[in-house]
Amino acid sequence: MRQTFVGHGASRGSALGRARVRLPHALEVAEEHIPAKRVEGEIVRLHAAIATVREEMFALRERLHGALAHEVGEFLDLHSLLLDDPELLQGLDELIRTGRYSADYALRLQRDRIASVFQAMDDAYFRSRVDDIDQVIGRIHAALHRRDAGMPGVAGEILVSDNVAPAEIAQLQAQGVMAIVTTTGSILSHSAILARSLHLPLVVGVADGALQRINDGDVLAVDGATGNVIIEPDANDLRAHRGRVRELARERKQLHRLRREPTRTLDGIDIKLYANAESRDDVAEAHALGAAGVGLYRTEFLFLQRNELPDEEEQFRVYRDVVLGMTGRAVTIRTLDLGADKADRTGLALRDEPNPALGLRGVRLSLARAGLLEAQLRALVRASGYGPLRILLPMVSTREEVRTVRAALKRVMVQLREQGHAIAENIPLGAMIEVPAAAIALPAFIGSVDFLSIGTNDLVQYLLAADRNNEALGSLYTPLHPAVIRLVRNVIQLAHKRGKPVAVCGEMAGDPHFAPMLLALGLMEFSLHPATLLELRRTIRHCDLAQLQSRAPALLRARDRAGIEEWIAENAPAIA
Amino acid sequence: MIEQELTVSNRLGLHARATAKLVQTLSGYRSSATLTAKGREVNAKSIMGVMLLAAGQGTQVKLRVEGDDEEPAAQAVVSLFERRFDEDS
Repeated sequence: MRQTFVGHGASRGSALGRARVRLPHALEVAEEHIPAKRVEGEIVRLHAAIATVREEMFALRERLHGALAHEVGEFLDLHSLLLDDPELLQGLDELIRTGRYSADYALRLQRDRIASVFQAMDDAYFRSRVDDIDQVIGRIHAALHRRDAGMPGVAGEILVSDNVAPAEIAQLQAQGVMAIVTTTGSILSHSAILARSLHLPLVVGVADGALQRINDGDVLAVDGATGNVIIEPDANDLRAHRGRVRELARERKQLHRLRREPTRTLDGIDIKLYANAESRDDVAEAHALGAAGVGLYRTEFLFLQRNELPDEEEQFRVYRDVVLGMTGRAVTIRTLDLGADKADRTGLALRDEPNPALGLRGVRLSLARAGLLEAQLRALVRASGYGPLRILLPMVSTREEVRTVRAALKRVMVQLREQGHAIAENIPLGAMIEVPAAAIALPAFIGSVDFLSIGTNDLVQYLLAADRNNEALGSLYTPLHPAVIRLVRNVIQLAHKRGKPVAVCGEMAGDPHFAPMLLALGLMEFSLHPATLLELRRTIRHCDLAQLQSRAPALLRARDRAGIEEWIAENAPAIA
Repeated sequence: MIEQELTVSNRLGLHARATAKLVQTLSGYRSSATLTAKGREVNAKSIMGVMLLAAGQGTQVKLRVEGDDEEPAAQAVVSLFERRFDEDS
């Protein structure tokens, strides 16, 4: 029977497919015994399911790349180990043999036994590992049934669940899920941001009843723009769905056309969109999409995963190629941003810092290691002979750091000129604003820098004293805090007053949902991953800058996250 | 058989990532290995087993390795503990 649920559209796109319901406690399996003669067959069936899951996880690992490979890969490694864990496997075989339980019930008993031990632990971290075990056991369970009923995986299905973790989003998409519907969550959560960056339709916050009312295999029509979820759609709904699909295809074409269009607001102001990049492909894509330049080129990859430092020559070639790849558009290269939390094998970063986020990292590390900064600066200065290049310093917290690098830069420029290298007349030196001290004391040292780039990911983490990867903190980590809004606004205003270009290069710059807010705060330059560049351009082209800026006072008056979210909802541009 | 007393000295203790490293290290050897702490002995080649120890920073554990390649296996584990699992992040 046709039924409708309305949630919040968190990631656009329309999907029509069968439902796959994931209940909060996924393993509601009744006690089931099997006859003795089926025991060995049941064990074979179980191991076949485990082998299927192992293959799936391996295939998924192969398909991940870039930043996702790092974030999600860690979960996958852990899950692969859990899957092959002797505690898990031997226990299961034994339960089936001695208890004559079905594989399903053995899985449930095993899950409950392990979970009870973990849940009794004092340490919240260990308690929450039950989630990992649940995910692994849930996968085996799903594989058991897939095999029996010949049902495909989540590929082509619509997942209905109470929530999804950020790390799961990428996994599910790689497995071919068509859309996700959750009963909790916010359109500004980390999961929603990820879903949008992957173009995976997502509806959050549908009524709790959805989990009971929707059954596995029900046909659902999901509209990620309006948040409408229809169970067993009728002929009219199907027509509407087809219409939306055609509309989306048309929209994608239009979006593609925006490659050659300016990023101009309704009231005729040009906004600059720069690309964050760390590979040749990123640079090529940035160029093809009509980015104003590269706003943040990360150099860490040159130093990670190897045993010796890259020499000046190797660095020079990489930086030169980025500059050449952008054919005269501005390229901003960030000096090495390593800390104890990144596993370099060169022995540059300290190994056993008690608090790596507050340790010897970024420009601090570059200044502490003899020769490191010099080699990187020489390579950068040599590359400046091939096109406009700017140098960006990470993790700046004092004026001295900038001045020390500035002095070294001058020295290097003089040397290279004397050695006969053709280098740029002037190489702008900028600072990342990610340490709150730098943002607050900006008036004291803005005179020492040529441009600024606000790294919101770290700025939010340091300002709110909230680790973005700590699940126990829930939604405490968010850019939607009045302290963040005010500080970002102050930095932008001061930079403009002093005539210094300022960009935002954190995750929020790449999500069109945050664009009206950042425009209202005065931002004129965004630096983001190329994947969402055209969508951001489209959103900005629907924004009226003067009108948004006239509403900035209301944004600054917002007293909490709910107030800021309300402002964002009220000021979202209507996109035709 | 080799027995060795070890101290968990990385800040987060034997949490998932450190445990994964331990299990991965041992999986390259044929010898069997156990860890004993707080009166409980677990299979050191099992990530669940090791996590169930809930061994935080400062916990004393006893490593026991037995098999034809017990010496290099034990050495690899000792070195992993000494390197604080290469992380402390």
